Parts: sequence; structure tokens; C-alpha cells
Amino acid sequence: MSSPRRVLYMSSPIGLGHARRDVAIARELRALVPGVEIDWLAQHPVTRVLEAEGERVHPASRHLANESSHIESESAEHDLHCFQAWRRMDEILVANYMVFHDLVRQERYDLWIGDEAWEIDYYLHEHPTEKRAHYAWLTDFVGWLPMDDGGAHEAHLTADYNGEMVGHIAAHPDVRDCALFVGNPEDIVPDALGPDLPLIRDWTERNFDFAGYVTGFDAERFADRERLRAELGYRPDERVCIVTVGGSGVGEHLLRKVMAAFGEAKQRVPDLRMIVVAGPRIDPATLPQADGLQICLYVHDLYLHLAACDLAVVQGGLTTAMELTAAGRPFIYFPLAHHFEQNFHVHHRLERYGAGRRLDFETSEPEDIAAAIEEEIGREVSYRPVERDGARRAAERLAEVLA
Amino acid sequence: MRAREPDETGYVNRDGVPIYWERFGDGSPTVLFMPTWSIVHSRCWKAQVPYFARHYRVVVFDPRGNGHSGRPAEPDAYAETEFAADAVAVMDATDTEQAVVVSWSKGAQRSLLLAAEHPERIPGAVFICPAVPLAGVSPERARYMGRFTERLETTAGWAKWNMHYWEHGYRDFVEFFMGKIFTERHSTKQIEDAVGWGLETDPSTLGATVLGPYIETREDVLDLCEQMSCPVLVVHGEEDAVRPVEIGRELAEVTGGEFVGLPGVGHAPHLRKPVLFNTLLKGFVEREARAPPVAAAPTGSKEGDSQ
Repeated sequence: MSSPRRVLYMSSPIGLGHARRDVAIARELRALVPGVEIDWLAQHPVTRVLEAEGERVHPASRHLANESSHIESESAEHDLHCFQAWRRMDEILVANYMVFHDLVRQERYDLWIGDEAWEIDYYLHEHPTEKRAHYAWLTDFVGWLPMDDGGAHEAHLTADYNGEMVGHIAAHPDVRDCALFVGNPEDIVPDALGPDLPLIRDWTERNFDFAGYVTGFDAERFADRERLRAELGYRPDERVCIVTVGGSGVGEHLLRKVMAAFGEAKQRVPDLRMIVVAGPRIDPATLPQADGLQICLYVHDLYLHLAACDLAVVQGGLTTAMELTAAGRPFIYFPLAHHFEQNFHVHHRLERYGAGRRLDFETSEPEDIAAAIEEEIGREVSYRPVERDGARRAAERLAEVLA
Repeated sequence: MRAREPDETGYVNRDGVPIYWERFGDGSPTVLFMPTWSIVHSRCWKAQVPYFARHYRVVVFDPRGNGHSGRPAEPDAYAETEFAADAVAVMDATDTEQAVVVSWSKGAQRSLLLAAEHPERIPGAVFICPAVPLAGVSPERARYMGRFTERLETTAGWAKWNMHYWEHGYRDFVEFFMGKIFTERHSTKQIEDAVGWGLETDPSTLGATVLGPYIETREDVLDLCEQMSCPVLVVHGEEDAVRPVEIGRELAEVTGGEFVGLPGVGHAPHLRKPVLFNTLLKGFVEREARAPPVAAAPTGSKEGDSQ
């Protein structure tokens, strides 16, 4: 009798989106490869999702240095220079790679999966002899991009990192047994990876398979929206606006600004019910209270609430925005200043889907937000449909590698 | 944010110079990461500390002249013997009876002194790209060696290694020097870090460190190696543009140590290729310096123990 196939899954803790889609992919992988055992090397807040889903978090995970804390320490108001924050995370990435290095010398796995597990991908390419299992890489964006105010220096740096990635893949094509882009070729920005480097889309099409978007949930759950609203306790005579900033502690300033708009929004939309989801890393007790304003800690099935709401106000992170797109709900999003992924990659993708209304945090006053809430709440939308089989397609590709 | 914060920090004071140290973890053995030239400080071990603290016990300290340590003005305060004595004082202050000592570049000199004078306390020594007077330097650099206090006609290349230039061109020198340390492509972050550390001190302090007494002759190195008794590992980048790889190879020969040359790597393999270096260092500690496992306590109780 052959021993069960074993998978080590690493899911980036920066944003909660990876966790949800990775759980969905793992579920599909189990259906395709009966008996497969999946361990997770992961940290808070991903572990919160994994534990709620009954997944096995490997005990070595306790040794991981926390990336979310670092990202939070790098943020200011509604501003996160995520490229520089990521660069300055270098010692955390080395430390966490070494946790992985030790673990895979103690335990045999047949497949390592890294969903934006930057340290794994980087050091495996730096030292291909480290590889001792099949390896699959997942990401929903390719290419560091400079912000306009970073000038020539930042453009030089992003191109240098992109160039290193291109060189790694060219020099060691056997490290990744599979590279999956979570999305479609049209989701990719038209930019180049840098001067004298390929266009991002061309390069990605040559080096990745496309899984389509992975929503991480079963859209059948909210096919009957009226019923879902009733299940979640939302009354027919109220219009629900959910304000949420994802899994890191970075979004507190946005929460506060939208909460400051609540009074005027309530005047404009008398049946408004505003629910603020602080997330697992913001203490709700530190937020201002107001009559009619409901503040929650973490909501496990947030996607269901988003599917049931009449409007969402969110950061510019990909997962939440795409959950709203898939559910066909109107939403307002505020990309974090200096966050190239939210400002370029996510924005490009949402434009393609015709989804969301973008507002600028810095220049939007509470009255502007209140007016936008009035205009958007309950609006009928006609977004490009989001595929529902992304998790399955990703799992099929992983199962091929594992076979 | 740091990947791991120290479990304990403190200062030792030697002749009025405060020396700042940090201790991480409480395993065994202790690995003492020595300071190198004071153009950088103990954060240069940032890619090692979290990993080795998880397995062993780690002690680092800032060199006099940078970081949180004192900055005496006189060159004599920067004698190699002073750095070696600082290491002994830090070991005493942290209750470190023995430590595997790991040094980089100029840190090799103080490590040799330490290992030669206190062989009973140093069960192993690891040298990264050692800067000791063996095997020579590149002709480009040799041209300006020993001319640190001289007024030069040029400020190009290694002529920047000059106290007069530092008075107004210190930052340019630091950037030049760090560019020579990291000759590998795609080293922007390592260079940025190192330049930042270099700018935490000042040209006058750093000038004093250059003028302090150091190990000047090949014979002195050979004498010290003769006195050493511990296992040695030398790791040297084969593309090192600051101290040629031949130095490391020769140091390994004269100490009877193991030599690992890293193709395509410059003067700071522990920062530019940390996974590779950490693996080499871990292997060395496991082979040479791991304390034998404590014999298991006898099981079963003696008669009468339960009464």
C-alpha cells in the first residue's frame, strides 16, 4: 500500500484573501487526490481562517516571524508603501525561509505550494539545490511597479527586482513545477517589468498557467439574496452598508473616516444600517461609537455578508473587491496611498470587470463619502461575470504535479 | 521591524567605553557573532540571529565606534586587542563560558586574538572573507593602502579610502565601499542597509578606527594561528573585491581549517547568500562544537524513593 501524498501549503499572511482562496483550492485538491494530507505553514491572521476551517497548522508555524506586524509598522494613516515595506521585510523573510528549510529536512512532502510565499520562491531560485519536493507557485499579480512620486530611483529598484525574478526563472526553469496566475491574461496591466524587460503580460503568459479568479466560496450560497439577507438578520426595510478593511491593522484610518460620514449618510439614506468590521487585528473598543453604527470584530463568513449587503466600503485589496464583484454588489474602494498593487494591479482588474467606484482617501471628506454612499447604495450593477471554477482549475493543475 | 528582538540587552564598560550587547535564545552552544570594522554594527548579523537563536544561544555586540557602543576619539582605543578584550568582557557579562566565534572581514583579527589567547573558551571559529595580512590585496586597492592620512591628487576608486576625503566626501566613500562589498547584481537592499549603518558613525570616529593598532604582519597572523587549537571554517566569496579569496584559502591552510569558496559571491556571503551561509555555519556547529548530549537520567525509582 502506498503512503498518502503529503502537501505543505504556505499562504501569505499579507491580507486575508490568500487564506480563503487557498482553503478552497485545498478542498478541491482533496476531492481530486483522495487521501492527500495537507499541512499548513502559516501565521496570524491566516491561521485564524485555517483553524476555523479545521485545517492542520503545522506546529513549526509558531517559529515564523510575523509579517502582518511588520506591514502594520510600515503603514501611516491610509498609506502603505508596500514595495518598500516588503523590501524592508528581508530579514523576516530569511528567518521564515529557514523555518521552512528546517521543516522540510525533518518531514517528507511530495508537493510544496506557495501562495505569494515570497521567501520560498526567492530562496529556492537562489539555491535550487534546496528543492526536495515538487513545488507550485501561485500569485494574483506579477511585477513590482513604481509609484509616480518615487521618481527614477524607485523605478530603478522595481525594475531591478523584476529583473532578478526574470533571471531566476530563466536560469532555473525547473524550480517551479507549476506557476499559477490567479486570474486571466486580460487582468494583467499593460506595463513592462522595466526598461529592457518584457511586458508583464507577455512574460506572464509565457511562464504561468491561468486558473481564472478563485473566489474561495460557493456562489450558490448567495444565489437567493433575499433568503440570505433574512438568514443573516438583515431586514427588508433597511439598507445595509458594510465597511471593512481586510485582515491587517492598516485600515483603521479608513474605518474612522467612513464612520465620520455616518451621520450625514444616515440623513441622506434614512434606512441606512452601517456595519463596521474591524477585522482580527484592530481592537473595536478603540473605535468611536455612534448610535445606529454597529461595530463587529472579525466576521468569519464575511463574504456572505458582502453578498447580502446593499453597499460595501472597502480598501483596494483584491480579494474583497473581487468577492463583491463576483456577488454583483455595488462598492466604493479606497486604494492605500503608495500601494502599487492596489493602485495599479487591482484597479486595472476592477476596471476590466467594470466594478467598483474608486475614491481617494486623502481628498475625500466625510461629506463626499456620504454623498457617494447615497449614490451607490442599492444600485443595480452589470459587472463582467467572475468564473466559479477557479479553485477547481487550480487544484487540477496541482493534482497533475502531485501525480 | 526586526525578525527577532533580543531576550536580554546590556552594556559592559571598559575604560569608560560602553559596549552594547544583545543576547538571543538560551540553547547550546553559544554563537558569538563578532563585530567587524566599525563602519557597520551588530545589525550586520540580521540574517543569522533569528535562525541561530532558535537552535542555539546567540550573543552579538556593537563595535566601539558604531551602533549603541561608545565612540572614543583616540586611535589607540580601537586597537584590535581592545576589540578582543571587549569580546571577553561581553562573554563574561552574558555568562558565556564558551562560544563559537563567527567573524566577518576585519573581525577576523580580533577573533584570532580571542581564540589564541583564550583557547579554552573558543570551541570553534568561523571566518567570513577574513581581512588579515595574508595573500595580499588587489593591485587597484594596494595602490592606496597605507596612504590614509596622505593628501591625494585623486578621489577616484580606492583613493576614497582617505581621511581628508572623508571630511567632505564621507557618504560617497561609504557608498563606494558598500558597492565593493556587494558586487553581486540585485544587491540594492543590502547596499542600502550597509550605507545606513555606515552613516550611523562619523568620519572622525571611523578615521580613528583605521589608525588604531592592528595585526600588520603575516608573521603575527601565523603566530596567532599557531596558538589556536579549535576547529576552523573559512567561507570566502570567490568574487570578493575587498579582500581576495586567496586570503581565506590561506587562512584555512594555516589553521588546518575547512575552506569553502563561493562562486559568484562577493565580500558578504552571510548577507547576500544568507541561506547558503546559515546552512554552512549550522553544519559546522553541529559537527564541531555541539555539546555532547547529556546522558539520559536513569529511569526507575530506587526502593524507598516513594516513601
